[in-house]
Amino acid sequence: MSTTTLDTSAQPIDRFVSAFQVNHGQALNGTNASVAKRREAAIQRFQELGVPTRKQEAWKYTDIASVLDRPYTLPLGPNEADVSARDLDPYLIDDLDAHVLVLVNGRPDHSLSQLDALPEEVTVTSLKDAGTHPAFKAHYGEYADAEDEVLTALNTAFVQDGAFIHVPEGTELEQPILLLHVNAAQDDLLMQPRHLFVVEADAKARVIGRQLSLTDARTFTNTVTEMFVGERGYLDHYVIQEEDDNASQVLSRFGYHEGDSVLSTDTFTFSGEVVRNNMTLTPDGPNCETNLYGLVIGHGSMHVDNNTLVDHVHADCVSNELYKHVLNDQSTVVFNGKVFVHRDSQRIDAYQSNDSLVLNNDAQIYTKPELEIYADDVVCSHGATAGQLDEEGLFYLRSRGLSQERARILMMKAFAQDVIDVIEVEPLKALIEDRVQDRLRTFAS
Amino acid sequence: MSTSETEYLENVANQEYEHGWRTDIESETLPEGLDENIVRYISERKDEPEWLLEWRLKAFRYFERQVEEGNYPDWAHLDYERPDFQDMRYFSAPKEKASYDSLDEVPDEILETFERLGIPLEEQKALTGVAVDAVMDSVSVATTFKKKLKEKGVIFMSFGEAAREHPEIVKKYLGRVVPYTDNLFAALNSAVFSDGSFVYVPEGVTCPMELSTYFRINDQNTGQFERTLIIAEPDSYVSYLEGCTAPMNQKHQLHAAVVELIAHEDAEIKYSTIQNWYPGTKDGEGGVYNLVTKRGICEGDRSKISWTQLETGSAVTQKYPSVILKGDESVGEFYSVAFTKGHQQADTGTKMHHIGKNTKSTIISKGISAGVSNNSYRGLVKVGKNAENARNFSQCDSLLLGDKCGAHTFPYIEIGNPTAKVEHEATTSKVGEDQMFYCHQRGLGEEEALKLIVNGFCQEILAELPMEFAVEAKELLAIELEGSVG
Repeated sequence: MSTTTLDTSAQPIDRFVSAFQVNHGQALNGTNASVAKRREAAIQRFQELGVPTRKQEAWKYTDIASVLDRPYTLPLGPNEADVSARDLDPYLIDDLDAHVLVLVNGRPDHSLSQLDALPEEVTVTSLKDAGTHPAFKAHYGEYADAEDEVLTALNTAFVQDGAFIHVPEGTELEQPILLLHVNAAQDDLLMQPRHLFVVEADAKARVIGRQLSLTDARTFTNTVTEMFVGERGYLDHYVIQEEDDNASQVLSRFGYHEGDSVLSTDTFTFSGEVVRNNMTLTPDGPNCETNLYGLVIGHGSMHVDNNTLVDHVHADCVSNELYKHVLNDQSTVVFNGKVFVHRDSQRIDAYQSNDSLVLNNDAQIYTKPELEIYADDVVCSHGATAGQLDEEGLFYLRSRGLSQERARILMMKAFAQDVIDVIEVEPLKALIEDRVQDRLRTFAS
Repeated sequence: MSTSETEYLENVANQEYEHGWRTDIESETLPEGLDENIVRYISERKDEPEWLLEWRLKAFRYFERQVEEGNYPDWAHLDYERPDFQDMRYFSAPKEKASYDSLDEVPDEILETFERLGIPLEEQKALTGVAVDAVMDSVSVATTFKKKLKEKGVIFMSFGEAAREHPEIVKKYLGRVVPYTDNLFAALNSAVFSDGSFVYVPEGVTCPMELSTYFRINDQNTGQFERTLIIAEPDSYVSYLEGCTAPMNQKHQLHAAVVELIAHEDAEIKYSTIQNWYPGTKDGEGGVYNLVTKRGICEGDRSKISWTQLETGSAVTQKYPSVILKGDESVGEFYSVAFTKGHQQADTGTKMHHIGKNTKSTIISKGISAGVSNNSYRGLVKVGKNAENARNFSQCDSLLLGDKCGAHTFPYIEIGNPTAKVEHEATTSKVGEDQMFYCHQRGLGEEEALKLIVNGFCQEILAELPMEFAVEAKELLAIELEGSVG
């Protein structure tokens, strides 16, 4: 694979700026004027904003600068990674009948994908091939905030490829779309995939993203996903994060949905080195339903940072947010949830809840559930708890004949169950149950 | 919202400040501006020992460096023009004799001032048994009940006096909880503090009465920098009340106080504040900047510190009365009602830092916003690595009166020990239509109903205030809410 190496002797900003020049010819639609213009503006903005430091409120607990400051290489051309269908077999979800798009090192690989059963009117392809699609033109770059979010600016500047999904008006896609994000890097690699999901009015889709590593190379993935849901539309987006312990990532998701639509996101984090999830969801129309769910099973020295914003710019909407964390070993979890209700966004019901189960002395939890409210006719609430397993509960289970270990697993599992139960895709639910169970078993022994 | 309710809220929001008048007493005032000479002058004027001057100068140099480096604490959810530190006066004292032996010697104007505030010294003395250390423009003008306290060994005097009479205690504890390096305003206060209160409760003594101080900013353009230090020796108890009012003034005034509390083994300190500084005109002009550092340390095992505050005044309020729970089984409490209207902005809350084992903290915060005001709760609950079995419960409720105000919650929770049990909950809503309807149906008008509901909303906090204060607090809330209902 052709790559360019980041010059670590230069300041991080200069490093990326000079790489930007090298990348120029390889970037997405080098000839498309509007994309090129966004890229130029984004690198400019990246230079102005600089690499986030812990002095910035949004990065107070996550030292992303040191993750960025590593001698990564940047991929320039398409993949030459050696991945076969057999390598991927174990990661296709059992009993799941899905349309599968495989992305290797951030780029779709059509030879590994299974999209034959896709209805004709639905598009699932690489972003690179979507350049002339009307939905690409209408929605690309419209929701991602490359102005204030420095890593989104960086992604926008270096955009090469990613997944593109379009479900046209009135189409209800029965089978979910499975995006297999495969990390198969041989060297230290910095990837910046960019995805765009467009679900038009009265359409319905479920998208499952599963991130995994086939190698143990040190990687950093800076992903930006834009989601659009039209009126009365429905999009359910699941992300399963189980990359290698050497893999760090910032996943920024921007969701925009119109009146009477539903946009749900579920994020399950099982592994990774530094994992930062930025989520900005904007329900812009009456009677929108916005759901955010998350489960983090922290172990080893994992550092997971969930940063969410529900931006209520329109009246008469409902949002629900539930994040659960189980922390063991030296893991660190950060949760920063914000609900913003704008001046005239009356009659908003916004609920936010965030619970942490801390199992080890060295584990740390930082949580900040924020409400910023400028309208009076609203009902907003948030709750946050942190604690350990309830001794009385354990005692009860022991008295019913369960072993210490089984009692602990059962209690931890019950704690996580709320978030698992919202999964609407049964085979996926079974997979998550298994993964959670497996991990908790190691915690209990 | 019904028309009359809207009108009522408008009336409330438009209400002018009730305590806006100035007492004509000749004051001796320094010119505007701040340099080392001013610091030296203040220290000399107050007849301070050398070490205190040295400490002030160190703080001043630190302050200068902070200003140069631009370390202004501007992270809060507040929008205001930074005060110009060179455009302020740092000392102002009533020109007549600065201390009095009895109330008879206090000039009538001052007594009248307090009377208009609704706290006649005489009456308080007679009816409530409260010792009042009235601070007007920085210098303590009247201290009552000194004798009774003396019998018990309780020291309650102005900070200046304490520095002269009990230097060993002051030296030991000054800056211990809030060092001058804490933040820019703490540094400024440490350099130029003019006076304040000092309380020392000896071992095993339960202070026989509530101690109370009223602070007033009187002179135009004078910053008020008081410094309060309260030390509770093992197994002692003290309840301290602080109330503030400032007259109307077009220019912004800065109020940067520092309060330090130290509770030793089995000791308890209860600190209550009613803050009613001038909030500015209804168009958002003038008003007090209330930028205060308050912190207590539960030094000994089983000690307890409790903060209760009713914040209704000031154009800008930024304060986070905090507790460091160092002793095992120590307890920290924070009860707060913050009411903002007009153009007021408040960013207030607390920090509970759990260090010792089996420590407990409770945070109950009620924010009420009206007009175009912004009211934020910002709090930190931090459980250190060795703080076994720490327990925290936090509740932050916001009530919105009107559709142009804002209510925000920024709770930080940092946990480094798995045995910690931390709960936080927050709600934001307006006064329920069903609640109003119920009140109407029982024969209450708009205003009465709203008063009743707001009072109920704050009940938990007001109940924490000492009796005399609770009555005044209720009255104050009612006045703030008052207007003519159409």
